[in-house]
Amino acid sequence: MIFSILKRLFMAVPVLLIVASLTFLLVRVVPGGPFDSEKSLPPEIVANLNAKYHLDKPVHEQYVLYIGRLCRGDLGVSYKYVNRTVNDILFDAFPVSCQLGFVALLLSVVFGVPLGAIAALGRGGRQDFLAMFVSTLGVSVPGFVIGAGLIYIFAIQLKALPVGLWESPWHVILPAVTLAFSPAAYLARLTRASVLEIVEKDWVRTARSKGLSYRTTVLRHILRNSLIPVVTVLGPLTAIVITGSFVVEYIYAIPGMGRFFITAVMNRDYDLILGTTLVFALLLVIANTFVDVAYQLLDPRMRMNAED
Amino acid sequence: MRAKKLNSGAENGRHLICFVKNRLATLVARGRKAPLGDGAITKELSSLTLVVLLICTCLIQGGCAESLTALRKPYEDGVLRINLGTEPPGLDWHTSTDSTSFDVVSNLMVGLTQYTNQLEAKPACAASWEVLDGGRRYLFHLRHDVYWTDGKPVTAYDFEFAWRRLLAPETAAQYAFFLYDIVGARAFNTGASKDVNTVGLKALDAYTFEVKLAKPAAYFIYLTAFCPSFPQRKDIVERFKDRWTEPENLVTNGPFKLSRWQHEYKIELEANEKFFEGAPKLKRIKMFMVPEASTAFALYENNELDFVDNRSFSTPDVERFRNSPEYRNFPLLRAYYLAFNVSKKPFDNADVRRAFALSVDRKVFPKILRRGERPTSSWIPPALGGAGSDSGLGFDPAEGRRLLARAGYPDGRGFPETKLLYPNREDVRLVVEATQDEIKRNLGVKVELVNQELKVYLATTRKDPPQMFRDSWGADFPDPETFMNLFTSYNGNNHTRWHSPEYDHLIEAAEGEQDSARRAELYRRADVLLCREAVPIVPAYLATQNIMVKPWVKGIAINPLDFQFFKTVTVGDTAAGEVSKSP
Repeated sequence: MIFSILKRLFMAVPVLLIVASLTFLLVRVVPGGPFDSEKSLPPEIVANLNAKYHLDKPVHEQYVLYIGRLCRGDLGVSYKYVNRTVNDILFDAFPVSCQLGFVALLLSVVFGVPLGAIAALGRGGRQDFLAMFVSTLGVSVPGFVIGAGLIYIFAIQLKALPVGLWESPWHVILPAVTLAFSPAAYLARLTRASVLEIVEKDWVRTARSKGLSYRTTVLRHILRNSLIPVVTVLGPLTAIVITGSFVVEYIYAIPGMGRFFITAVMNRDYDLILGTTLVFALLLVIANTFVDVAYQLLDPRMRMNAED
Repeated sequence: MRAKKLNSGAENGRHLICFVKNRLATLVARGRKAPLGDGAITKELSSLTLVVLLICTCLIQGGCAESLTALRKPYEDGVLRINLGTEPPGLDWHTSTDSTSFDVVSNLMVGLTQYTNQLEAKPACAASWEVLDGGRRYLFHLRHDVYWTDGKPVTAYDFEFAWRRLLAPETAAQYAFFLYDIVGARAFNTGASKDVNTVGLKALDAYTFEVKLAKPAAYFIYLTAFCPSFPQRKDIVERFKDRWTEPENLVTNGPFKLSRWQHEYKIELEANEKFFEGAPKLKRIKMFMVPEASTAFALYENNELDFVDNRSFSTPDVERFRNSPEYRNFPLLRAYYLAFNVSKKPFDNADVRRAFALSVDRKVFPKILRRGERPTSSWIPPALGGAGSDSGLGFDPAEGRRLLARAGYPDGRGFPETKLLYPNREDVRLVVEATQDEIKRNLGVKVELVNQELKVYLATTRKDPPQMFRDSWGADFPDPETFMNLFTSYNGNNHTRWHSPEYDHLIEAAEGEQDSARRAELYRRADVLLCREAVPIVPAYLATQNIMVKPWVKGIAINPLDFQFFKTVTVGDTAAGEVSKSP
């Protein structure tokens, strides 16, 4: 198993290289450059700026320079945040997003999976309708509406929780709930569909008829088997949630890295765009590797396949 | 108090563990009995979820009791909490270009001179200065009692180093052009000259700084009050390189010093006890970076911010609080205008441009933007003396139709397809839609609106703008020059393609003129040429700054350049005085 994990991680190198090269090209194709501003600059000064950041060189030379730096683990410098390197920026911002994302992920699994299971086990009944209503709401109502609503109720009206900022553990609650809403709803729908499918299986009936208790049947046979699609989406979902959300960080004023996915593009901050993209790609690869491991834990058949 | 909290937390924890054990036992017991399809298991699942939630709450509660009490307190004496809106792109006053960075730097540093809130440049590091050789040479005499935060005196050498660094091509400073009036500055900045000694600035001794200008520039003294011209310490900049602006390295000479910088989140300034004018009245300033206006405003309403301005103020909030005693509104030197690309038909004809200018009723802008904007038809703002009178074309649709007919388009018939470009922003969209409507109603011409994302829009206006576009300009210093120079043929921000030797000549004459009355008259003539005769632009309105200040904060003042100086502000009951107003 360790060998297969190592193999997966080794395969990540060419993947990341392709991601870096494509992004490198794409950002330069988009019209507008990092130094376009409301007050346009004398050409001499633009020339100075371009020379400082090697943007005056032909694209292929810039590319070689960039890949060279990348191999040394240097993600480059930000053009917008003068004097800060992309490594600095991501090093400050990622832990924040990671904390928030982790809490949100926990919430979405803890609420989403049972909600879906409840709905499926009581299919067609009131609890199914209620659970699916809540999850449809969660999937379709955008984060900024949920966020604004939560702020209005819990911070402004009840004055029970802070409006925003990132000071104490209290400040984590509202943003984490907002961030968890949509993945929880998504997981609930997925779990429901999956459980519905499994409940119909012959071996579930067999399990019951050979005298297994309802509890054991549900927990060991139904839930465990229906978790496979859930675990599959948890991989990319983890990468998405722990790299932060622009909307949630924006409305709660949280210094995470989610905002850079948007602002770096708006500022044409080339190296920062590449940096965020690469971090995301790397996390995605790692998360998917974990998913593969989880498959093997959930389903013995896959363990045997991996060993072959 | 704290120990007791922890104890009760631990007790809660024990209760919870018991509770969880009991629940699990019941679950197991019931699971044995329950038939498939019974609702019991769902109840069990939901109660488990509840338990997890309870544990979370309990964990959080242990650590947070204190911060919750802090939230209930409306303010802290001597601490001002404000919103910067975004992370300042940098605190190196040579390379930063934006108002957020300048809001921080102008409370950390003073230059040779400093602005009052009436926008006069009064002595700061320079005790006095002499203007010699008909305005071509400035001699600054520095005070002996201004110190850096590490105790070293501020000397003329610090200015010499700083100004040379601002001009050095490797610094790549966007504001380097600020010093282009100095002998040899442009050549050195562009690399035409490699010798720094060809630049006309020199520290004659530790407390005398000499500057030679290529031609007289009446506005030059204002430049010495603005961030890019502040002094810098050679040893600090060279030793810490890219990290010299981090709190542990930065040395400054102003009323506050940088004590903490959590990137993308908060900057904290602390009083500089050794400031040459005496320590400021505030102990500390917390500058948060809350990007979303409604969140920042909610923080203000919940007493978590003491002062908010436009950055934290959505239009519905302005409406809601217009009559509150905490609300104030100040005019700014920031003008918005419609521009024509005069190289494109039919706007190469001045009659067409004049017709458009006459057909837009500027009074509509404050009605839709609702922040007390001041409509204007002249380019020099009233606050800058140059134009007390209105030099531009007012609202006269009948005259507009007559001019349009004279140009060959009676009632707009046969008028070519016209595009109006604007950057993708909500307030701008409202403005261009109102303009489109005015033109349609008064001239019968249909204008097509085209929006582009900001950076794309900026690139388009520079390379090949359509017939019409919306633009804006904010003053760099309080002199008509900052507005009027914009439409000279050699200014890189003049995207109208309009070039007038007569206009260039008037501006150059005004720049060198030492007599203020004659100077004002030259600018007024240029303003008439720009806004009444040639009309490459249609000035629309001047923006305002809207602020809310808590009653316990005194001394907040907004000046038209929108610099926010906090050295005289107080927070707390002992404070005296009122919110001061600039004229």
